[in-house]
Amino acid sequence: MKGSVMKGSLGTSVRRKEDQRLVTGHGRYVGDLQLPRMRHVAFQRSPHGHARITGVNAVAALAAGHRVFTGADFAHVVLRAQSALPSYVETDQPVLAHEKVRFAGEPVAAVVAADRYRAEDGLELVEVDYEPLPSTVCAWDPPRESLHAGAPDNVLLERTFDAGSVDDAFAAAAVVVERELVTNRHAGNPMECRVGAALWNASDRKLTFWSGTQVPHIVRNMIAELLDLPEGSVRVIAPDVGGGFGVKAVLYPEDVALCMIAMRMPGTPVKWVEDRVEHLAAATHARDHRYLIKAGFAPDGALMALQADVTCNVGAYSVYPWTAGLEPLMAGGLLSGPYRLDNYRCTVRGVATNTAPSGPYRGVARPASVFAMESVLDAGARELGLSGVEIRRRNLIRPQDIPYKMPSRLVDDSGHYDECLTKALDLLGYDEIRAEQERRRSAGPSGAGEPPIGIGFACYNELTGLGRAASAGPRMPFRTGHDACTVRVNPDGRVTVFSGVTSQGQGLETTMAQIVADGLGVGYDDVEVRTGDTDESLWGFGAFSSRQAVIGGGAAHRTATAVQEKVLALAAGLLEANPADLRIEHGQIGVVGEPKPRISLAEVARVAYLESNRLPEGIEPGLEATRFYDPIRGAFAAGAQVAAIEVHRATGELRILKYVCVEDAGHVMHPQIVDGQIAGSIAQGIGGALYEHLVYDDDGNLSTGTLLDYLMPTSAEVPDLVIGHVSHPAANPLGVRGVGEGGTLGPNAVLAGAVADALGIEITTLPITPATVWTELQ
Amino acid sequence: MKCAPFDYVRAATVDDVVTALADADGDGKILAGGQSLVPILALRMARPAVLVDVNRIPGLGGVRPDGAGDGAAVHVGALTRHSALAAQSHHPLLAEAARWIGHTAIRSRGTAGGSIAHADPSAELPVVAVGTGAVVTVSGPGRNRSVSADELFAGALMTSLGEDEMIIGIRFPVPQRWGFAEFARRHGDFALVTAVVAEIGGTVRIALGGVGSVPVRAAAGEQVLATGGTAAEAAAAASAELRPTADMHGSAPFRQAIAAEMIRRALAQARIDR
Ligand SMILES: Cc1cc2nc3c(=O)[nH]c(=O)nc-3n(C[C@H](O)[C@H](O)[C@H](O)COP(=O)(O)OP(=O)(O)OC[C@H]3O[C@@H](n4cnc5c(N)ncnc54)[C@H](O)[C@@H]3O)c2cc1C
Repeated sequence: MKGSVMKGSLGTSVRRKEDQRLVTGHGRYVGDLQLPRMRHVAFQRSPHGHARITGVNAVAALAAGHRVFTGADFAHVVLRAQSALPSYVETDQPVLAHEKVRFAGEPVAAVVAADRYRAEDGLELVEVDYEPLPSTVCAWDPPRESLHAGAPDNVLLERTFDAGSVDDAFAAAAVVVERELVTNRHAGNPMECRVGAALWNASDRKLTFWSGTQVPHIVRNMIAELLDLPEGSVRVIAPDVGGGFGVKAVLYPEDVALCMIAMRMPGTPVKWVEDRVEHLAAATHARDHRYLIKAGFAPDGALMALQADVTCNVGAYSVYPWTAGLEPLMAGGLLSGPYRLDNYRCTVRGVATNTAPSGPYRGVARPASVFAMESVLDAGARELGLSGVEIRRRNLIRPQDIPYKMPSRLVDDSGHYDECLTKALDLLGYDEIRAEQERRRSAGPSGAGEPPIGIGFACYNELTGLGRAASAGPRMPFRTGHDACTVRVNPDGRVTVFSGVTSQGQGLETTMAQIVADGLGVGYDDVEVRTGDTDESLWGFGAFSSRQAVIGGGAAHRTATAVQEKVLALAAGLLEANPADLRIEHGQIGVVGEPKPRISLAEVARVAYLESNRLPEGIEPGLEATRFYDPIRGAFAAGAQVAAIEVHRATGELRILKYVCVEDAGHVMHPQIVDGQIAGSIAQGIGGALYEHLVYDDDGNLSTGTLLDYLMPTSAEVPDLVIGHVSHPAANPLGVRGVGEGGTLGPNAVLAGAVADALGIEITTLPITPATVWTELQ
Repeated sequence: MKCAPFDYVRAATVDDVVTALADADGDGKILAGGQSLVPILALRMARPAVLVDVNRIPGLGGVRPDGAGDGAAVHVGALTRHSALAAQSHHPLLAEAARWIGHTAIRSRGTAGGSIAHADPSAELPVVAVGTGAVVTVSGPGRNRSVSADELFAGALMTSLGEDEMIIGIRFPVPQRWGFAEFARRHGDFALVTAVVAEIGGTVRIALGGVGSVPVRAAAGEQVLATGGTAAEAAAAASAELRPTADMHGSAPFRQAIAAEMIRRALAQARIDR
């Protein structure tokens, strides 16, 4: 590696490349795409949670001049997520439901018309007859009628983690606490809902699919496979995407339907822009879990044993391609979090119900599992007369424990949890707030005077940048450990980067440009980054698992370094110097030790492309390289969140007085982006802890079908956040740790713990609403 | 979520509106700020044949004082936007209530007439109307009539307005002392419970929103105050006579408790906190 990684633009909050267009309303989203002859698609959706389809009649819609597609048209294609795990049951998710519908909102028919209004008029003319079946919406209730023939009990996957001798450890424990904890179903809800446009060009047999996806290469791969097309004939383009949070890392039946409709209407681009009602009903949900959890502690607070039975509601289908194992395995693999533990037994299962499929959502399962873990720690502390800080310090994985093999066999490479917690407590002003809490407590009886104060804590390890050997997931037929990057120096000496990463607002264009600028030795402004088009970039798995800074960033760095090598070799030939004596900075190449540069990158590039007569012997024309990177293992990012709240006894209202988060991002490449990721993820975490709740009635109807009832936090609900950093570089080329998800992991635990601390009640069911607090107090 | 087809009529006068509604034969709807109607249309929960846009009718917006002393009131034109209500100073209670409606974009478009006509039991302006004893001026075929707020609200999202009638203004008495307290899950949400306290001509009136199908007067609470009881007693009495229904946001007892607390806060703000 030439020069220091953190020199140049890395480490500074350079102006984000994408902001000019995004902030001024010039973003180019799929919704903005206008193509000649474009038609619009609307989907007819099941009004039942569970029903047999007994008839579909599209005569009236066809007579009105609409194109109509129904389940039978696409019945030969199914989405079947695969996993090599022993107990796993695959499910067949139809493109458009025929035979049966399994959740309210499942698409059953599509109408194509000149605009969306007319398409919805057409939907009213498509008659679908249903014979309702009993719905099951709660994953830990006995199923009323199974969803899939292969899983009579609705269990799609079950796995037990077992380490140490749990029974002996419980027998020896001084204190054993046992809880039943239920977390609330909620969803990522990006500002831009799902969106797609597809065009089949029959003359060259090519399919172009514009999609608001986080994972364009995976989408290309899956579409090609499902539709039996050569992969090179499918082009997926994700232009600007307005938020994803995991919801858009899924391939949905609607995506496949759009492509299939396009193939049936050659030359006619078809577009579908999902609205919020569809999104709430049919995009993936998450975090609908129950934890039966038991923890044993030694008198000094040491965690001796942990046992859990975790049921995750995975919804109607095993989500494609991540499978029904996504949440259960994450929950079981990371339940013990950043705490030392030898004796662990945990059974996790994914259970199908008549609800929308569960999928990846920022922090996958861990906002729930951290809540469960921190709840038993707090309960243990109370029984042992320890403070929440003491019991955590007693158990946190320490730097000297690294590498630490968790009981689930994942290897923690961080260990800097106490440092995060300590810094967070300092930033909170822990001692002063404790003093104020005490003053209020002693000032008067409950109800009178100022509301009681509570403090809550959460420590967590965010598993980021998973390489091929660190898979915590459901053993799918692909490994997501690597990404590719291509760096091209153009004939004018400026640089174009074709990166496999994707951006839904996280500023990846900026980050990749910084990495390449510094890695190659050119100015940040001379680097342009292109992402999201499978015809341009070679390969990238996309945005999930806080992986792109580590993996896509690593690939960008490796590639930039490779190009730099060629630049210096070429320059050395031109200058008759030794490449080892040359260096390049800001596009100027000079000899180490000399004050003035000798030649510019632009001149070298000109030779590379236009003046082959000057090319040194043995050097090919062109200045471009493509490299992959795979970190092999992952990088754990340590984090701690603490907050002080006050609660009004008369109403159950909760007010956040101060909220602090300290994380270890390793080397911070762009401080503003990193803080933005942390702030945004905490805001989503607060939403899940206090407001967001997708509620189904017993018949499988979604009761919270619009944003009138599904409450997202707004800027008024999210307090100013205090964000601090510790910095321990990870063992990857840039020394970075992912920060995309960690923030979501804390708020459930922090706020529930704080309410318990303020009022002496325990929160066992999320979200924490005024009504639940008030009811608990009566 | 796109509306079904409809015909569009842009009215220049109130007479135009009444005529267009009469012509629509019960299948017409007035379009004011559109902040309640358009979402309902988009969900196809309403599908009127004709929309009568009243936004260009001159002279229907604005707040002006009407009467003085104990009989002081303001006249609010039907097209007065919530943002204008929030900004005026003739009726501080109305200004305060308007600030609690939705968010900036909604307040810039939504109208007083639309809010009253829409009759959402959780909306702010209907509670103020009942709390202050407002009178609504209505224009129909060949006649204008006045109707008190109490008589106007007939049920959740239902009024006693005829299908061919239009609200043209509302007269809100100005209270000597007042208090306003609202409990909502988030900033800008429709209220779980709203309490309005207004002292008008020496009588303290208490009105509540969100606890039934229409805004209600808390007669028992008013009675307690009239007979020399304390604010806490009034809040307790008012809350005890409520029969709210349970919903996703809480049980009936929870709403009663919130109502008592909101009445207590509103009375305290009105300095009726003996
Ligand atoms: C996100 C959101 C949040 C909101 N939050 C709140 C809130 O917290 N509190 C609150 O009170 N409101 C809230 N609203 C609703 C808002 O206040 C509306 O403006 C109001 O309810 C209706 O007024 P409008 O002018 O928009 O009427 P429109 O939507 O145009 O019409 C509503 C109904 O009234 C009828 N109508 C309109 N004008 C007249 C008239 N002059 N005579 C007879 N009939 C008429 C229409 O035909 C229609 O049936 C919210 C709206 C949104 C979208």
